[in-house]
Amino acid sequence: MFGWFKIAKKLKKLGVLGMNERNYAVIAKNNKRSLYTLVDDKVKTKKLANKVCINTPKMIGIIEHQYEVKNLLEIVKGHKTFVIKPAHGSGGKGVLVIKEHNGEEFINASGDVLSFDDVYQHISNTLSGLFSLGGKYDVALIEETVNFSKVFKDFSYHGVPDVRVIVYKGYPAMVMMRLATKESGGRANLHQGAVGVGLDVRSGRTLNAVMHNKPVVIHPDTGANLMELKVPFWREHLLIGAMAYDMTGLGYLGADIVLDKERGPMMLEINARPGLAIQIANGVGLRDRLKEIDTYPQNLSAEQRIDWVLNYEK
Amino acid sequence: MKLCVRKFFTIRKMLSFFLLLSIAYASWCCYYKIKYWGFTTSPKEVTDIWTIEAKISFKALKGDVSVDLSLPTNKDNFEILSEEIIADGYAVSHDKNNNKVTFKGENKKGKQNLYYRLNIYDDFQKEFSGVLEPQKIKRPILAEEEKAQMNKIWELAELQKGDKVQRAIKTVNQEMANPSMSLVLPLKHTAKEYAEKMIQILAYKRIPSRIVRAVKLEEGKKTEKPDIMLEAYYDNKWILYDLNTANIGLPKNWIVFQRGGVSLLDVHGGEDSKVMFSVLKSVATPLKMAEYRAKNNKFVVPYEYSVYSLPILEQNTLKWLMIFPLAILVVVIMRNVIGVSTMGTFTPMLVAMALVKTGLVSGLVCFSVMIFLGLLMRAMVARLNLLLVPRISFVVIFVILLIQVLTVVGYRLNYEIISSAIFFPIIITAWIIERASITWEEEGARNTLKEIFNTLITALITYVVISSEYVRHIMFAFNEFNLVILFIVMLLGTYTGYRLTELMRFAPLVNNKE
Repeated sequence: MFGWFKIAKKLKKLGVLGMNERNYAVIAKNNKRSLYTLVDDKVKTKKLANKVCINTPKMIGIIEHQYEVKNLLEIVKGHKTFVIKPAHGSGGKGVLVIKEHNGEEFINASGDVLSFDDVYQHISNTLSGLFSLGGKYDVALIEETVNFSKVFKDFSYHGVPDVRVIVYKGYPAMVMMRLATKESGGRANLHQGAVGVGLDVRSGRTLNAVMHNKPVVIHPDTGANLMELKVPFWREHLLIGAMAYDMTGLGYLGADIVLDKERGPMMLEINARPGLAIQIANGVGLRDRLKEIDTYPQNLSAEQRIDWVLNYEK
Repeated sequence: MKLCVRKFFTIRKMLSFFLLLSIAYASWCCYYKIKYWGFTTSPKEVTDIWTIEAKISFKALKGDVSVDLSLPTNKDNFEILSEEIIADGYAVSHDKNNNKVTFKGENKKGKQNLYYRLNIYDDFQKEFSGVLEPQKIKRPILAEEEKAQMNKIWELAELQKGDKVQRAIKTVNQEMANPSMSLVLPLKHTAKEYAEKMIQILAYKRIPSRIVRAVKLEEGKKTEKPDIMLEAYYDNKWILYDLNTANIGLPKNWIVFQRGGVSLLDVHGGEDSKVMFSVLKSVATPLKMAEYRAKNNKFVVPYEYSVYSLPILEQNTLKWLMIFPLAILVVVIMRNVIGVSTMGTFTPMLVAMALVKTGLVSGLVCFSVMIFLGLLMRAMVARLNLLLVPRISFVVIFVILLIQVLTVVGYRLNYEIISSAIFFPIIITAWIIERASITWEEEGARNTLKEIFNTLITALITYVVISSEYVRHIMFAFNEFNLVILFIVMLLGTYTGYRLTELMRFAPLVNNKE
């Protein structure tokens, strides 16, 4: 008991944000509930992003009704690879990446072979709300797969490594990269065993890396030295985050960004309630960062804000 | 951020203020209910209810009959619950001013039995209230010799302890066998004569006194004669004395039937009359007694608008409901302070509720069996690739059928463990099965078992809190505490500290730094 108080005290000193404080003092204060719909629906987010010229994976089509599911092959005609996502999904739930298909057999991200029926079933489940919050009816979004940049090839086991930027009042506050591992099954969720790499906001270089909350230096499956990670097009990554703020008006958001070989950084989704694991990946608490940003100017454009952050001298 | 903090404090202060207010209100209600309604903090406490039956029997002398029976008043430390008179063919009139009931019958012949039944309970809040001031009394006129003996008694009384009356009683008790006092104190005497003598002795000193007939309440007692006590007007109030021990006051569990010179029973037109008292004891819970207590109070409205004035069925339902807020509080604490993630917010609470009804072990065993069978069935159905809603519906119906089968089998085999299935909430059980099977597919068996474990632990903790009869009684009898819980829950809604599990989760941050 006493030890716990000690830990709590130390965490407080480190400025670590807890779930309660995040919900009460940060999210409730900065994110209007009415804005949630903008980011909870991926189709909406995508349309909005296209309007303000934020790069996103191209949409192939939407399946809204059960009777449309059989038209899947028609919809994805001409696309060797594609991704099926529930429009209202969260945490990567229900995302099915098809790396290759011939109309009968579909190969997913981890190399398993699925039949058309399997895919059909997956879309049916998506429509009936299996993966959406509260089990509401959902829409299946079909988009192009990200042709992910070779830069991170050695850093991720299958799956697409993505950059999560926490944006507070339009300023990038903290960044991490999530690398899939064998254990995480090609997914980028830290609690499933993915590696979280905290990145320096100003340089895009590794600060710290963790797996299962413990520091790691080398990727367990690929053997890459995580400390050597440096994200190219760093400014563009941050810019997407800053623009996401302008686009949605959410004072506290997490933008998930992937790097495409040809199209550069692309925004996958925006989260209005980004998790707190990023603090562990960075080895730093969020609270002080947020406090600092509170002192930043409030009327700058996205570009100006990024310049401000990149040139800010402590 | 700074502004946020300031704003945050006002909300918190406001809620704290309301919390304190609700605590004050609940405490006051608590006090009121205990004091005026006789509520107790323990569910097991009961109030004794005494049934005293006076059976009057006499032989009617062919003609009109009139019977007077003196009745107890509720001026003493007992409160009358109800009275009942059984007297076929008699006209009954109840004279409340003189505490008398009169039976009048015409053309009666032979043996007659009249019954007067009284239900009373111990009313602890009632103060012993004296009655009217007595009239001035005259000193008895005595012969010289009697006077001398009387003076002697009072002289001896000076040597005794206690107040004047007590001293006199003690002296008389001592000198009773003394032949030199025979004029004042007859050797042979009945209790009544003794009391009458005592009255005379007291009257000599101008102390008014009277006979009191009381019945001691003893389980199963049957007696023909009420006990006789003495009441003297001393120090400006009527005080009751035990003639044998000279103790002051009515002993516990005694009830006064009649005071003063008038006789207990008066029968005109009959002979061989006697009254037989029998006493029976029963018990009632304070909640039941509250009605009577409240009605004896001048201010009945709060009782009439309380849940306790409802029919028993409604009361029981509400009693069950009243425990919910506490269970909810446990859930809130488990989630926001401890930080345990469970399947569904209130699922653990509903499971705990079911466990209260089934009993812990049998409930857990039965529940596990149901979940296990459900998961098995669900796994088989998974291959059919049903749509979501029909699939969940399938699970719900399966659970219903399962409950039916288990209950019937359990009943037939006399296995309570199995038949307790009926108490589990169907939808919740189905939902747990569905959730578990999805989690199993998506996140593996480990995460599923962890979630089920978390849910069960939370349910168990909730169970521990709400299974106590004591807690349930308090939450119902003093239901204002639910208001306190409301504000505690709201206040917890502003809690921004770490959750306990977060300390473990973020502990690497501390350790890595060191």
